[in-house]
Amino acid sequence: MKRQHAPPGTRVIASTLGALPFNLLCLTVLCVLAAHAPHLPAWYTAMLAAILAARWWQRRHHPRRVQAWLRIVMLVAVPLVVVAVYGSPFGREAGAAIVCGLLVVKVLESESTRDARMTVGFACFILMSALLFDQSLGFTVVVGLMLLPVLATLRALEPGPPGFGWRAALQPGSVLLAASLPAALLGFLLIPRLATPLWGAPDNGAARTGISDRMAPGDIQSLLTDNAVAMRIGFDGAPPPADQRYFRGMLLWEFNGRAWLPGIAARRPWPPAPVDVRGPLIRYDVTLLASHQHWMFALDVPIDTPEGARMGADHTLYSTRPINQTLRYRVDSATDYRLDPEGLAAGIRAAALELPDGFDPRARALAARWRAQAGGSDVAIVRDALNLFHDGGFAYNLDAPPLGRDSIDDFLFDTKTGFCEHYASAFTFLMRAAGIPARVVVGYQGGYWNDFAHYLLIRQANAHAWSEVWLAGRGWVRVDPTASVSKVELANTGGATDGFDAGGSDWWLPWQNRLDIVNRWWGQSVVGFDDIKQSRLFHPFGIEHATAQMLGIALAIVVFLALGLGALLASLRPRTRPRDALAAAQTRLQRKLARLGIVRGNAEGPHDFYLRSADELPESASTLRELSTEYLVLRYATLEPPPERIRGFVQRVRNFHPRRVVK
Amino acid sequence: MDQNFAGATAASVDSLPRQRLDAAMAQVNEVLVGKNRAIRTAFACLLAGGHLLVEDVPGVGKTTLAHALAATLGLSFRRIQFTSDLLPSDIVGVSVFDRDSGAFRFQPGPIFAQLLLADEINRATPKTQSALLEAMAEGQVTVDGASRALPQPFFVVATQNPLDMAGTYPLPDSQLDRFMLRIALDYPDAEAERRLLTGENRSAMVGRLSPRLADGDILTLRQRVHAVTASPVLLDYVQALLAASRKHHDIRTGLSPRAGLALLAAARAWALLGDRDYVLPEDVQAMFVAVAGHRLIPARNAGRDALAQALLDSVAVE
Repeated sequence: MKRQHAPPGTRVIASTLGALPFNLLCLTVLCVLAAHAPHLPAWYTAMLAAILAARWWQRRHHPRRVQAWLRIVMLVAVPLVVVAVYGSPFGREAGAAIVCGLLVVKVLESESTRDARMTVGFACFILMSALLFDQSLGFTVVVGLMLLPVLATLRALEPGPPGFGWRAALQPGSVLLAASLPAALLGFLLIPRLATPLWGAPDNGAARTGISDRMAPGDIQSLLTDNAVAMRIGFDGAPPPADQRYFRGMLLWEFNGRAWLPGIAARRPWPPAPVDVRGPLIRYDVTLLASHQHWMFALDVPIDTPEGARMGADHTLYSTRPINQTLRYRVDSATDYRLDPEGLAAGIRAAALELPDGFDPRARALAARWRAQAGGSDVAIVRDALNLFHDGGFAYNLDAPPLGRDSIDDFLFDTKTGFCEHYASAFTFLMRAAGIPARVVVGYQGGYWNDFAHYLLIRQANAHAWSEVWLAGRGWVRVDPTASVSKVELANTGGATDGFDAGGSDWWLPWQNRLDIVNRWWGQSVVGFDDIKQSRLFHPFGIEHATAQMLGIALAIVVFLALGLGALLASLRPRTRPRDALAAAQTRLQRKLARLGIVRGNAEGPHDFYLRSADELPESASTLRELSTEYLVLRYATLEPPPERIRGFVQRVRNFHPRRVVK
Repeated sequence: MDQNFAGATAASVDSLPRQRLDAAMAQVNEVLVGKNRAIRTAFACLLAGGHLLVEDVPGVGKTTLAHALAATLGLSFRRIQFTSDLLPSDIVGVSVFDRDSGAFRFQPGPIFAQLLLADEINRATPKTQSALLEAMAEGQVTVDGASRALPQPFFVVATQNPLDMAGTYPLPDSQLDRFMLRIALDYPDAEAERRLLTGENRSAMVGRLSPRLADGDILTLRQRVHAVTASPVLLDYVQALLAASRKHHDIRTGLSPRAGLALLAAARAWALLGDRDYVLPEDVQAMFVAVAGHRLIPARNAGRDALAQALLDSVAVE
């Protein structure tokens, strides 16, 4: 029958892949492509899916391998395309793109059950590698569910009774998957883990969004519409009032006419400036998601330095290593403080007053006019500037018009439209031009207070920039010029307004905020379950620090108990014993045939089964015919079969060794 | 079953009725092209001593089947077209006063025939239906206090149209139980239809059919059906099917013991038609949907035949 379908000149492959396992295999590969789609170019995924669909269509009509030259061309093309896109075959994204492409090429040549098994193994590995990109709860669950078609394909590759369909193939997979959950949990909790991973995935930090160490007009804009979680903060006591929720990340000292940069001052290893703490300290835990930068964010203004961090002269916190994994740290901050009130060091003062020559003459003139009017009062100049933003026709709009060479002048006198960066930048410039030491602070502001789980959720959209000015006797004082802008334009901003109403753009954001509690649990308890947490696993049993040996012993005990329980349940289950020697012999015969892939259906009559077996094993047809006649007569034609004939049948079954001749 | 591993052990002595039976089936097959299985089932029903319900849309050959059977089997044939004004006496007959003898004389109705075609049985009122169904169950009719035996063999072929339900009195489930087997004829396949279109007029063909069975052949064969062996293992299987029908969650009312008897009898007849003197599970399976399809009462709005097939697939065979 198979020969009829094969076009002349092609080799018929012995154990040809059936339609059901092939369809399931295609579904499996499609799932793998879907799992990798979020981090691969859309056109690349679409192209691979189209090749897969073409292969599926081709095999439906002509079951044979795709021509060798086409496979070789694709085999060469995949790495070339990837190198052309990513510039190198190395790296996480490029690697994923290559293996996805090779997987699809493998499907092109999958024509036997052996090929299909290899492809499934390969697909399984690539599916799991998608977790290198995203370890969120939702994605993990999706990847877990994608194992269903994998298991169904493996089941469909095994011989099944006649009429074996999708549902029968999917069912054992779902049972297996459900049954493996406790085993996975056990392994997760008890298999000793290493303090440092055996291997790390190369990471492409530049592709990540997040606060960067440079601020030019429009830089934060993309951030302000990004609802990704930046960090979560749990306070020991009550959270600070909403207007105090400023989290400083880094300070920008140097203005080059266009952009603000950290500058030399930020890099000098000066000791932290003295702080005069007035009110009570606020203690809190920060869970900072991987940013691939060094900045650690702390409530204005941090007093102590967490482990593994360094505090700059300007009271910003730096991690000594880039933050490539979720980082948890504990800080004390003071919200009522005097920062460096005694007087500025000459170097710092110079850095906080420096402005590039030849830029923004109108802003400089305005600052000079304020200075002349105010005389010696710095506070009056600050008030003048804030009044300007409040009454000068300024508007808040994320969709700010582009600025020319004299960006501060253009903004202050012409466009008068912008968001936090524009205001912080212009304000700091004006202060320096008027002779007041000033600097730009970049960080986060606001956040969503989860009253149920008592933590503050900060998203990237909460990114903010503000200023600090140094006033005699009061030290560095935080001034947020954006807060004095009265007119908020929501046109074209998608409703996002930095700091004050973080990203109210999506109607479902409030729900996201509430559901974030689940993600927090997942991040802290599952993704963040490291060797330290594992060693505290037996804390409730009085063991302070569990060693790898203890964990191994616990694992062995639990596995032993589970196996014992399974054996007990299996022994309690009623077993269907063959009713007599004849039935036992028939069962043995069926087992011999099942090994050759001929499985008897539950309701398949004995006569039908013998007929089908003889059809599939032409070499053994005559023996099967004799066995069949004997069995049917003994079982159904005689009320009390003579024992010697039963013994004869048993003996013949024992001597029957069916073989499938593979051509 | 084209191929047969089961061994033809049927008694070869006096194989003449058996040969005539094959000739009879072949003749009916010639008239109804491509309906081998339905015809074989009809013969199984006849040999098992049951009555047949043919349920299908008009024009697929229900009446032709009954005509061809009657002509081929050499049975006396009567046809009753059921209508809503048909009275019981129109079926069983009536006593009329005979002036010559001065007494009532029984005028037998059309039911006194060996093969009765009850066409569109669901068009008559329940009262008339039950008169027929009673006769089917008892093998006799009672008129004016006197019981009159029906001729032997007595074989009823009833037809009904499942689609056109306007103005009909559907047979209640309890009455459906009186029919041993229910079959559908279905549309012919392309090849058979072409032969039908190019072939001779069917009614002319039926007119030319000659009886193929001798007198008493049917009764002889029926006795032989009774003698077909049903081994304990096979009875276990039949019982398992009955038990499963009573436990199945999609079935409100399972199969009755009478259905079990019908299943076994039909399977025995099917085995005989397959040249065997013992019943195989395959025989039971071949008859199961025809026996159980109209007897199962589904819990939900499920197809009865599909339900019967699902039930069959769920019970293991040894």
